[in-house]
Amino acid sequence: MSEETFMGVPRDRIDWSPRIDYAKCNYCLECAKFCPHNVYEVRADEEIKLVVKNPLNCVVFCRACGKTCGPDAITFPDKGETTRLIKEIRKEMGSNG
Amino acid sequence: MGRSYAVLPCNGLDKNAGGIAREIALALGERSDSELICPVFYRVAEARYSKVAAEKPLLVLDGCSTRCASRLAAEKGLKIAAKVTVSEEAKARNVSLPKGLRLDEAGLSLASAIVEALLAEEKKEDTAREDLFAGMVYDYEIYKKDKFIFRVPRSGFLFNENDCWAYVVGHRARIGVADYVQQSLSDIMFVTPPAIGARIEQFGEMGTIESGKAVFEIVAPFTGTVTAVNEALASSPELINEDPYAKGWIAEMELADLEGEREFLLDFAGYFNVLKKKVDEFHV
Repeated sequence: MSEETFMGVPRDRIDWSPRIDYAKCNYCLECAKFCPHNVYEVRADEEIKLVVKNPLNCVVFCRACGKTCGPDAITFPDKGETTRLIKEIRKEMGSNG
Repeated sequence: MGRSYAVLPCNGLDKNAGGIAREIALALGERSDSELICPVFYRVAEARYSKVAAEKPLLVLDGCSTRCASRLAAEKGLKIAAKVTVSEEAKARNVSLPKGLRLDEAGLSLASAIVEALLAEEKKEDTAREDLFAGMVYDYEIYKKDKFIFRVPRSGFLFNENDCWAYVVGHRARIGVADYVQQSLSDIMFVTPPAIGARIEQFGEMGTIESGKAVFEIVAPFTGTVTAVNEALASSPELINEDPYAKGWIAEMELADLEGEREFLLDFAGYFNVLKKKVDEFHV
């Protein structure tokens, strides 16, 4: 099984990735330049020049790209809620396992 | 008269926060012996400010998270003694920054509140405390990739997948970041430790460390209350580069649920695998 996991949970069951507020984004692209995981894709010729292309590549609990964002256009899901869900899935996997 | 700094502000015209940083710098110049460094002029005429920068502790005033002033300090090899990011201060104080570039009343009052806090700062509590962690032992396994060497201690440490470690003694843990973090950030120039007494949930934010390259959020390995922070990092953040598992520790916490939360962390073998994968796939 080559499936990616985080804390033993299949990565695709964890909803963790940046959300871009396009009303705030000024397309400085600092986030895309920063992220080594190819989460973002730059689309120079389109009106929306930046998209979250590979959300599952995003490292769960990492918010580093958001900290490069001058206009504060990037948000992430709630950490506490995400932790609670991961723990729940693990429990469920344990009882099925 | 308050504290005296060499003040390097953002000063930028891109956002309102830059104007506020400039306003803070001006007020500090008027109200203390602080001296101002104009970032634009500094870039072209470094010698103009080299004496000020060498003699006074450096206060960096960033407007927003782009951190232009911090990055300029990193570029010039300056040591940061204190820093403020206006957009974060605004958030913490529940002030919304206007879109225009002119300062309004809210902006001016935010600037003056930050100035008051900066001039008042400097409270040192001497915390004589027992060192529970004096007996930590270090026996490293090494993973090499090109010229980079990543160390991971073989025993006693627990890790999360976000490259933060915990070393548990009784119901206390000392927390820090793994070698991978310091290698990825390169020269660490500033550490914002968590507040002593703060309660932090497992995987919540436990302060940040930053370099010219990026800001790294420390992800708490456990839930608990912060009991101590490593004071040495305020003047020597490079300890994290030199010795991330020992002298570069970041904070200590009283654990709320050691047994319940331990299963969500990795031991040496588990973390070593995660590290190898990260290094092979992402480290550049």
